[in-house]
Amino acid sequence: MTKFLLISEDNEKEIAVKESFIGDEVFTCTDETMIFDILKVEEPDIVIVDGDTELLDLKHLCRKIKQFPVVILLVLGKKEHNKDVTHNVNLFIKTPIDKKLLIATVESSLRTRQSLLKMAKSNQELASSLYQLNVLYNTSSQLAGSLDKDKLIKIMIEGIEKSLNYELSCTLIFRTEREPVLIINSLYKISDRLLEALKLRAILSYKSLLSDPPFDIKIGNLKIEKNIKHNIKEYDFSILRYDNLFSPIMLNDEFFGFTEVYREKPFSTEDATVFQTLVRQVTIPLQSASFTQELKATNQKLQKLERLKSEFISIVSHELRTPLTAIKNAMDIILSGKAGDMTENIEKFVNMGKRNAIRLSGIVNDLLDISKIEAGKMDFKFELIHVEPVIESVKNNLSEVAKEKNLTIKYTPSKDDVEVYADSNRLEQVLTNLVSNAIKFTPDAGEIEITSRVVNARELQYDNCFEEDIKKLQGNYLQVCVEDHGIGIERKDLNHVFDKFAQIENSLSRKVGGSGLGLPIARQLMESHNGAIWCDSEINKGSRFYFVIPVANDKSNFSMIHKQLFQKARSNFTTLAVIKIKSTNDTIEKLMRENNLLNKTYMANSLIEKEGMMTTLTILLMEGDKPSAEFLKKKIDSVIEQNKELYGECDIMYSYEIEGEVHEKVQ
Amino acid sequence: MKKILIVDDEQDIVESLKFVLEVSGYVCYTAFNGEDGLKLAKEIMPDLIILDVMMPKINGYKISRLLKYDAKYKDIPIIMVTARSQLEDKMIGEETGVNEYITKPFELDAIVKKVEEYLGKADEN
Repeated sequence: MTKFLLISEDNEKEIAVKESFIGDEVFTCTDETMIFDILKVEEPDIVIVDGDTELLDLKHLCRKIKQFPVVILLVLGKKEHNKDVTHNVNLFIKTPIDKKLLIATVESSLRTRQSLLKMAKSNQELASSLYQLNVLYNTSSQLAGSLDKDKLIKIMIEGIEKSLNYELSCTLIFRTEREPVLIINSLYKISDRLLEALKLRAILSYKSLLSDPPFDIKIGNLKIEKNIKHNIKEYDFSILRYDNLFSPIMLNDEFFGFTEVYREKPFSTEDATVFQTLVRQVTIPLQSASFTQELKATNQKLQKLERLKSEFISIVSHELRTPLTAIKNAMDIILSGKAGDMTENIEKFVNMGKRNAIRLSGIVNDLLDISKIEAGKMDFKFELIHVEPVIESVKNNLSEVAKEKNLTIKYTPSKDDVEVYADSNRLEQVLTNLVSNAIKFTPDAGEIEITSRVVNARELQYDNCFEEDIKKLQGNYLQVCVEDHGIGIERKDLNHVFDKFAQIENSLSRKVGGSGLGLPIARQLMESHNGAIWCDSEINKGSRFYFVIPVANDKSNFSMIHKQLFQKARSNFTTLAVIKIKSTNDTIEKLMRENNLLNKTYMANSLIEKEGMMTTLTILLMEGDKPSAEFLKKKIDSVIEQNKELYGECDIMYSYEIEGEVHEKVQ
Repeated sequence: MKKILIVDDEQDIVESLKFVLEVSGYVCYTAFNGEDGLKLAKEIMPDLIILDVMMPKINGYKISRLLKYDAKYKDIPIIMVTARSQLEDKMIGEETGVNEYITKPFELDAIVKKVEEYLGKADEN
């Protein structure tokens, strides 16, 4: 049925229109205010305006009607009209009215109008879908950017609000296992009665969703978070009659919460899809957030354990070493004869006590070393050194013990004069271990041979079981070999001698004592030197233990070694200050070589980098008793001043960073 | 005779140190906590102090700092003895004016030698 509004006081015209559209609705009106009331309430499809009407200002009238979604047909009679009127009109017909022409004109224009309306409607739908899609996209990108559970839920609720324009939403989540929270987002205030009803509803939904709810929710322990947009109105029970959408939030198959939205205007299928998609989208980041939370908790636990371990180490070091020191001191005094004369038997047994006290303190030290290495807390003091004096010193230190077994230690030093970048104390520790093992396992009156030589990584010979450790080596190395003529090691055990407590498995070697940690420590220490340690052996003939350290003067691996050591230092310690020194000459290398910078005062580590003509030395200072930035600055300035005296004027640029603050100094 | 003050909460360690130093010809005074040690130091004006780091009441570094920042006592050499071998400790030691640093376990002879370096052989004086 088509609705007409006829604006005319001419009866003839009214009859003609009514006769033309029998069965359709025709309102006739000439009162201007009434016209617009009809347009608003009845929403006619077409307005027919009599061009000859005297009562109204047609120019003004047509312009106003045009704002309504109607077709305007002007019936032209005697009166002439200017374009102010005609421009605002869609169709024209002349008097006397030809009914057939009127019908045909009206019908065709109504058809056009219909399709235009349809198009406008689908356009609108398209626009709203597009908007929803946009919201989905924005929401999902926002969700991807957060790992905070509360924030994720908030983003989800906001996304739903933007895409669905709900009036009220209720979301139940568990902030912690025992803290259920009902988040209510509402357009208007909500009455107390409604709030109670929403709480009850949430609890009921929770209980009906899960056959065996893990946590009990009561009205009393349900926390409420209300976000009210406008305070002008208040919702009551009536809102529960609105259309609603409900969805649980699941993480994998686990319940996380649910969300429910209410809207007066019914939700379409698309709305439901958008709603489900949004809820589903939040689950993946929520899962990540849960994992992150767990990870953080585990990390904290681990850090605590790590701290406990360090504390344990320091307690052990104090509590075990102190009494050992006292025992050894007491026996030393007796043995020195200062406390009085002693019989041969007393001397024998006190010596026995002392020997075992030394052995025990060796085991304690080994245990401390291995824990320190494993905790990454071993302190190294790397310097450019020659290995020969270290070997000589170990040989001398152990010559007494060797003499007891009537053993000879032979040392053949390398023909090449090379330096290595190493901690001489640790190197001595490794060598002492290897040589004292050799002494232990070589029968009386035998011989132990130590040799050192420079080799290329490609020339190294080793059993396959050591391939993992050795294949990564490149360039030239200083190789030290300690050879004994003892019982030897079976091939299947070759690799295991470097395992912790390996000796315990071997009753034969247990007799000779030791913590069983010497070789594992040696292996770790060699790794820290960017070297390697391995052995080969022949049963009943003897064993050869080898270790290699990169040659420092070797240009090919110098910077690589430094970089690696530096990285290691960086990860092992907290950096307090970074000093960078740039120079165009070789001053820095001299400085580095003489180890004259901050190493004396601080545990420092340095890295030389060469870029064309520019050499940069970066020194990492380790965190100690946290000297203040001010103190450090003074210290660094004095070191710089000192170097000026040592090396004279040179083109050096210093820049240093203390606790993030950069200071620069050009000299 | 040169006076040496030994401050350590480990009585056995103090006892053995006192013994070897006295045999070597020095006069030894002992204290078993930081508070007593500091009081004694000011009272007897020793020629050298052997200090432990970890002690109840006042630790070794604090004593060292208090003495080294006082014009009256700043020239008394201080030998620090501790079970803690970490290098960072040395930093604090240097900052507080410790002259020497010996880590436990130590050889008694090594301490006697260090003392002789600072005070000269007791029998020569």
